Amino acid sequence: MSLIKEKFNQISPSEFFYSNRDLAGFSNPTRSLYTAVREFVENALDACDQKGILPDVHLTIKAVEPEKPDPKPYILTVKDNGPGVDSKHIPLAFGTVLYGSKFGLKQARGMFGLGATMAILYGQITTNKPVIVKSSVDGKLQDEFELLLDIQKNKPVIVKHTTKETSKHGLSVSICLEGDYSKAGNKIRDYVYETSLITPYASITFDDPKGEKFQHPRFVKDIPPAPTIIRPHPHGIDVERIRRMIVESQFEIPTIDDAMIEKVRKDLGLSKKNLSFTAIMEKARKKWKTLPRQVRVVIALMSFLKMDFEKLSKITIEDLDIPNKKLHYWDFGESQSKSIDMDPESQYYKQLTNTVQGEPLTTFLTKRFQRIGPTTANKFAEFSGFKPEKRMGTMSNQELVQLSDSLQKFEDFLAPDPSCLAPLGEAPLEKGIKKFFNPDFTAVVQRPASAYSGFPFIVEMGIAYGGDIKTGGPHVYRYANRIPLLYDEGSDVVLKVVNDTDWGRYKVKGDPPFIIVSHICSTRIPYKTAGKENVADRPEIERELRLALQFLSRKLAAYMSKRGQAEMAKKRANLYAKYIPLIAQFCTELAGKKKEPNYKKLIDEEMPVETSKTVKETKVENE
Amino acid sequence: MKTNKIKERSKKADEKQKSILEMLKSHGAKIYDDLDHGQFPKFSIPSRSVSNIVYDKKLRQYILGNNAALRSSRNSSQLRSFTQLMWLAFFANRLTQEKKSSTLRDVYYSSQAFAIEFEDQSESDNIIVDLEAVTSKPREDFHIFPEERSSIFGDLNIEYTIPGYEGKTMNLSNHPDGYSIGPSLTTAELVDTSAEIVIAIEKGGLFTRFVEEQIDKKFKSIIINTGGQAPRSTRTLLKRLHDEMGLPVIVLTDGDVYGEHIAMVIKSGSANAAHLRELTVPDAKWVGVWATDIEKYKLPTIPMTESDIKRCYDLQKDPRYEDGIWKKELDVFLRLKRKAELEAFSKYGLTNITEKYLPQKLELAKSL
Repeated sequence: MSLIKEKFNQISPSEFFYSNRDLAGFSNPTRSLYTAVREFVENALDACDQKGILPDVHLTIKAVEPEKPDPKPYILTVKDNGPGVDSKHIPLAFGTVLYGSKFGLKQARGMFGLGATMAILYGQITTNKPVIVKSSVDGKLQDEFELLLDIQKNKPVIVKHTTKETSKHGLSVSICLEGDYSKAGNKIRDYVYETSLITPYASITFDDPKGEKFQHPRFVKDIPPAPTIIRPHPHGIDVERIRRMIVESQFEIPTIDDAMIEKVRKDLGLSKKNLSFTAIMEKARKKWKTLPRQVRVVIALMSFLKMDFEKLSKITIEDLDIPNKKLHYWDFGESQSKSIDMDPESQYYKQLTNTVQGEPLTTFLTKRFQRIGPTTANKFAEFSGFKPEKRMGTMSNQELVQLSDSLQKFEDFLAPDPSCLAPLGEAPLEKGIKKFFNPDFTAVVQRPASAYSGFPFIVEMGIAYGGDIKTGGPHVYRYANRIPLLYDEGSDVVLKVVNDTDWGRYKVKGDPPFIIVSHICSTRIPYKTAGKENVADRPEIERELRLALQFLSRKLAAYMSKRGQAEMAKKRANLYAKYIPLIAQFCTELAGKKKEPNYKKLIDEEMPVETSKTVKETKVENE
Repeated sequence: MKTNKIKERSKKADEKQKSILEMLKSHGAKIYDDLDHGQFPKFSIPSRSVSNIVYDKKLRQYILGNNAALRSSRNSSQLRSFTQLMWLAFFANRLTQEKKSSTLRDVYYSSQAFAIEFEDQSESDNIIVDLEAVTSKPREDFHIFPEERSSIFGDLNIEYTIPGYEGKTMNLSNHPDGYSIGPSLTTAELVDTSAEIVIAIEKGGLFTRFVEEQIDKKFKSIIINTGGQAPRSTRTLLKRLHDEMGLPVIVLTDGDVYGEHIAMVIKSGSANAAHLRELTVPDAKWVGVWATDIEKYKLPTIPMTESDIKRCYDLQKDPRYEDGIWKKELDVFLRLKRKAELEAFSKYGLTNITEKYLPQKLELAKSL
């Protein structure tokens, strides 16, 4: 036996993230600078989205000492016109880890506001400078905080707090951190550029450390509808989740104490004078329909106990044994446990059963899940082999597993409610692609909502060809919940689907000037790594991506073949223009003539016909 | 008397040139009119695909069937070759008018002076055959000649018709190496000869031997070295010697299946030139070396290769090899699976072939 005792310590969340900062994308100065930009910009956009404000986001990166070689300290500031953060929340929101407003089943760019705190933490440990937060909620007063994190205690340390007048609402966060802009610059510029493509309703500016200004003004005036918090979809549920839902759906036997008795008296409309047991029951029977559940339960208990209020205050209900139809209670007067039989034919017995055993299966399904009506609930009951009126509280473990399995397998549920998702929409996506790439051909599609492991998701995709797009495509722009994914491209499911496509089949050959924009929206994106840069190949997601890409590829193929025809016509016209004069020249000498034949109208007639046809076809395709 | 004859001959040559030019002009005029009327010119080319090549027993040669393809300048995939063909007609017209000769390779390079592109010489060669097929005239009529590689020797007087040499005569036994059969010889007038037969021989070595042994005198013959498969100019000359001078033609080849076919091509043409009717000597006779000679003269032999044997089977399907000596010898080759060269007679001494074999064969040829 060892004499040394094992020592157990609990570490704070910030301590944990301090030791494991690689997990959140802060592995080196290059990656950290990029990740910090991302976290702050995404928080700013999320804040505006949720309040329906058209975002104006200003990103500034400045070197503290520009002459020093990279990596070196930079000041990163992100300023927005969002709702701001209430001054009493600021220290906690920016000075602790795992504190935030983003909990619940709906889509947002980040999950818990963890990343921003990680960036602050990283800044502090590399430069030992406080974070500066300026916030105005009302557009009149602005709070300015200088904060440090107490990493061990996961607590904010307020270095300075001032208040001054302002004319604008919004938030500005500024940190000093060690970064490498010479290496991260490209990625950050790409990030800002690609973000503005998928957030066309935002104006984003970026002042880089070299004094360059990148401006991306908004070109869409409307914010897409904000997502709502929703009930779960049956396909995305497991046994543990059902068990928790059943507990929520069960009603407790009310504690019979003075307060409860007073409530029952009041609801029954009884005066203070004592009524006999029979009179009470009579009164209750008449008013039954208007009584709340708790009161009904107490009346039902009284009916079996045959007690009036006086006696009732001297007992505690211990258990309702529905299978054996027994009621156990503790009698304070006699200091002993007693039990009585319940009559199953009594209407009061039914009341108690309902209360203890919870909702019937069909009610449970329609009330607790999204998009299930009574018809579907009954169909499901038949499919799963449960009686529709089966009480949820009576299910054994085995039955719960069976129920969970059936919920996964039943195929007649409607697709998940996508109202918790915020896809950009086909029109803004198309507008963005056209503005950014000025292509000859564009097509976009938004797939209907689907679900993987119960999490709804929507794939939207755009394809564009020609115009200003550079050759060597397809160039793939990947987005997840409006975040551009720039790293780890190789192992991403979107890339996999694109690479699996035989482009030759769609008449795309050689070194095409060709882009694909893929946006996956979900309440939970299945990222492969904590760095959140590549999406795992879940079969459901892969399938939707494939269908979207196939749909667009077919449109592209139609365009390509028309374009091919137009090119052929042009080529043919060029051939005529090249060869017919030669033929004319040779036959003139052969025929012994002096003047060449009048062949010009032959070439002229061919040209305009072909050209006008081409223009028309292209136009139709782009509409 | 002689002047008259010369005049007559030059008149004949002039007429031939005139008819070629007329024909080219009429083709050109048709295309000119189409263009002038705003129409895409087109013309029809006899199909030279295998399915359209048939053996005409009456003519005793291969000819093209009735299938023809329309080549239109409207069709963008044909426009290029249409223009190439037009250029070639134009170029042939100039060559003929100026009485200048050209080779296949020459044509290929000349095209570049007119912004006409050919991928390679085989493309331009192909267009030349197209022109032949459209006009049914051999390219030699348009002054386009192959590189010469065959030669002629014997008592034959010719008179040149090419510019600068018109009226000049020559006797073809003046030079013991023989005269190469080039454009000037092919187009020359054949004036007179004391020869009574033409011996076409496959090999240059034997040709030299025959000259040395004075076969021309001993057998009153004109000797022609075909240099393997006879070039078209040689076949033209053979035909003219037969048709114009009334000389019988016999062919002497190696004792193998290729030799047999060399003789057959002289006699009845090749599939490649099925569009032309002026290259065959249907009365020409193959006198050997036969497969049966290999056994009869106990010649040293070489085993046949697989491709030799395959060639035998291929020829068995050719209608010209259906009967007579052609079939018989082919069967024997297949039975022996061995072959012998003309030089094999050297086993019995250098002059054996001229002193023993040739006389016997010439005698035999009379009965063929």
